[in-house]
Amino acid sequence: MSIMTAAEIRREMERFLPQVSKPNRYLGTEWNSIHKDWQQTAVHMAFAFPDVYEVGMSHLGTRILYHLVNSFPEFLCERTFAPWVDMEEKMRDRGIPLYALESFEPLKKFDVIGFTLQYEMSFSNILNMLDLAGIPVRSADRQAQDPWIIAGGPCVYNPEPLAPFIDFFLIGESEEQLPQVLGLIKEQKEKPRERREFLQRVAQVQGVYVPELYDISYKPDGRIEKIVPAPGAPVVVEKAIVTDLDQAFFPSNPIVPYMEIVHDRIMLEVMRGCSRGCRFCQAGMIYRPVRERSPQTLMQQAEELVRSTGYEEMSLTSLSTGDYSCVQPVIQEIVAKYGPQGVGVSLPSLRLDSFDVKLAEEVQKVRKSGLTFAPEAGTQRLRDVINKGVTEENLLETSEAAFKAGWSSIKLYFMIGLPTEVQADLDGIADLAKKVADLGTKNGRRNVKVTVSTSSFVPKSHTPFQWEPQEGMRSLEEKQQYLRSKLKDRRIKYNYHDVQTSFLEAVFAKGDRRLAEVLEWAFRHGCRFDGWSDQFRYDTWLQAFHELGIDPHFYAHRAMDYDDVLPWDHLDSGVSKRFLIEEHHRALRGTRTLDCRHTDCTGCGICPGRGVQVDLKG
Amino acid sequence: MRVRIAYSKLEESRYIAHLDLARVFERAMRRAEIPMAYSEGFNPHPKISFGSALAVGVEGEKEYVDVELQQEMDIGEVLGRLQEQLPKGIRLLEGRVLADGSKALMAVLNSASYRVRLAMALPITRVRLQEALDSWLEREHVTYSRYSKKGPTEKDIRPLVKSLTGEIKGEEVIFDLEVEVGSQGGVRPEEVVGSLRELESLPLDMESIHIKRTGIYVSYQGQNLSPFEHDQIQRGRSKQEAR
Repeated sequence: MSIMTAAEIRREMERFLPQVSKPNRYLGTEWNSIHKDWQQTAVHMAFAFPDVYEVGMSHLGTRILYHLVNSFPEFLCERTFAPWVDMEEKMRDRGIPLYALESFEPLKKFDVIGFTLQYEMSFSNILNMLDLAGIPVRSADRQAQDPWIIAGGPCVYNPEPLAPFIDFFLIGESEEQLPQVLGLIKEQKEKPRERREFLQRVAQVQGVYVPELYDISYKPDGRIEKIVPAPGAPVVVEKAIVTDLDQAFFPSNPIVPYMEIVHDRIMLEVMRGCSRGCRFCQAGMIYRPVRERSPQTLMQQAEELVRSTGYEEMSLTSLSTGDYSCVQPVIQEIVAKYGPQGVGVSLPSLRLDSFDVKLAEEVQKVRKSGLTFAPEAGTQRLRDVINKGVTEENLLETSEAAFKAGWSSIKLYFMIGLPTEVQADLDGIADLAKKVADLGTKNGRRNVKVTVSTSSFVPKSHTPFQWEPQEGMRSLEEKQQYLRSKLKDRRIKYNYHDVQTSFLEAVFAKGDRRLAEVLEWAFRHGCRFDGWSDQFRYDTWLQAFHELGIDPHFYAHRAMDYDDVLPWDHLDSGVSKRFLIEEHHRALRGTRTLDCRHTDCTGCGICPGRGVQVDLKG
Repeated sequence: MRVRIAYSKLEESRYIAHLDLARVFERAMRRAEIPMAYSEGFNPHPKISFGSALAVGVEGEKEYVDVELQQEMDIGEVLGRLQEQLPKGIRLLEGRVLADGSKALMAVLNSASYRVRLAMALPITRVRLQEALDSWLEREHVTYSRYSKKGPTEKDIRPLVKSLTGEIKGEEVIFDLEVEVGSQGGVRPEEVVGSLRELESLPLDMESIHIKRTGIYVSYQGQNLSPFEHDQIQRGRSKQEAR
């Protein structure tokens, strides 16, 4: 098949764009989008987000890297997203290959395509996008003229199920690492070397993991025997870290889409990392240490961002913004300065113990936003097990203050199926929800609405719970039904995630390379957009496991041993395995571990020898 | 200060949906540092209001928006600064300051003209086209089924079509039509053309349809006035009444 040119793709697209849903997803001329000259740039990169436009454009990392790469005169970066199913059908019917939004050039013409792996349930979309681009999905089937297929994001801490498809992974923070990699690709383009030789070179960059340089062998019972690196490849690939976040690149002119996206606002990144130490939380482990931006830097960025975007809302983002040491003065200054211009402030996911109603009222001054808290577990015992340092008093005091200040609806997030969970913990969820609703009623709120959402615990790599199995699906469903019956109250709404999706997420989160076959089979049989409940085909997935003789329960439901070789043992987040084991022990004893921002070093291993340290500005 | 601005919405900007267009203008105004007036209340919103919505994919040659500003400004400066911040395809054509008490666009606009271009599925002669148009125009009722989430609904679109002409240019058929716009819901140009295809058996390739709204007016005493002209007349009348 000869590949279409950009002009041909554009002409074809214009014919049917009015017939697809949300055509603005596919145009690429948004405010602040960057259209560079192909002739004047040495390396052409397409940043690929394996979900629809409005999800991908809401991701801060995508935005940072797009503008970062384009800030180099010799590099060009464009964007592409997974076309929604109606669009894909039309593209396949007419033989239109997947293209990049800015130039309409087909992806196949780029030098490198960088996927971001935000959640396991987007893996099938990666294969589908490669296929739609006319690029062989397996690295082994690609030719020298095909683009390099690379990937970053949190799921690269266990990217093994994608090993045969991706040439190399970028582990950690890419602000410094990605330009280095693109520099090597530029050299490779000018003076091509053998594939293997190039890969050996790129493997020397901090955090670059080339899966084909590692040989995995298995024991007869299915567990991993050993992981053997090729000569010259690092034995352990350690993540890349930005040492000075305050000085790190941050785009001052982000793209402003012409359609509503999920997070349609300015995102001001106040800090990176979280050392609260919740034991189920992968983000809390892999983004360490905590590094804050200074209020001066943030105010300067805020000024530039308001000018360049015209957005009506600014969100202070991080894993836990209430913990940012300068949150109060920064919010006050932003509200004072931009409130009169109609710009509001919002805070994502507040923690109960760092939540201050005064703070919320500041935010409220300009624009109303809902309140969301995540106690995660229903009893103090279980909250101690997961190291969520929130007490019932915290929740009740905060809720009462919020009701008094005028809020009437509160969202509460919990997990079910956590290690050591018993009946009392489920009852605890229902009791807490009732107590919160009662406080609302007591304080004279007429339209009290408490929304309880439960997700099912998914054990993730590089966390103290990585050895834990996921709870069985039937038992999780019974727990959901139990909660549903206990939460029958007109003031309380109960939402829960479907257990099949969580199960598959666990399989891939803890999976190894052998799952690649399953993934490819499922994609070939129509699986894509697995994170979208209306597109998820659980039966096809089950058939895939069956056809290939692979037992998904081996991955999701098996307790792993400390002595087991884990599929991700050669990848290092900087938090030591010894610390994770110690934390796992402490979890099972119900012993808390405190945040190193406020007490002694916990010895997680991230700081020594890496030139980084906990960096607080308050 | 309230200003009324006429603009065109062509090419790629035709894909910006009506609800999104308000945000596009609002953000452009903020980037242009033109201070907008906001509504009171818990969720303050800038005071921007549009005329009749343009469907996604339909171009507009002359559309209108009213914006309220916090302070007096030179209208030329408003247009100049705002233009720089608008997406490709949206061109500001004209702007005027509105008098206090001027009626909202939504309340006065009641007529629209469209130009529809589409390819022939089979060759159509000039005579054949005219026959089809004459026959369609002679009908008293033309029912068209719309499909919504609630299921199909039937609508008589004939009374809403004020004029309809067509001509052949190369491989394309071009229709010009004028329709009523109103609170009772209007008629979509593709429905008129679709019914020509169905009822008069005109072989038209509906997939190739390209629609442009060539104007939107206040139909007043048998004349199509622009909302600017209509506002002038209203203003003149209220002055007379005041005397």
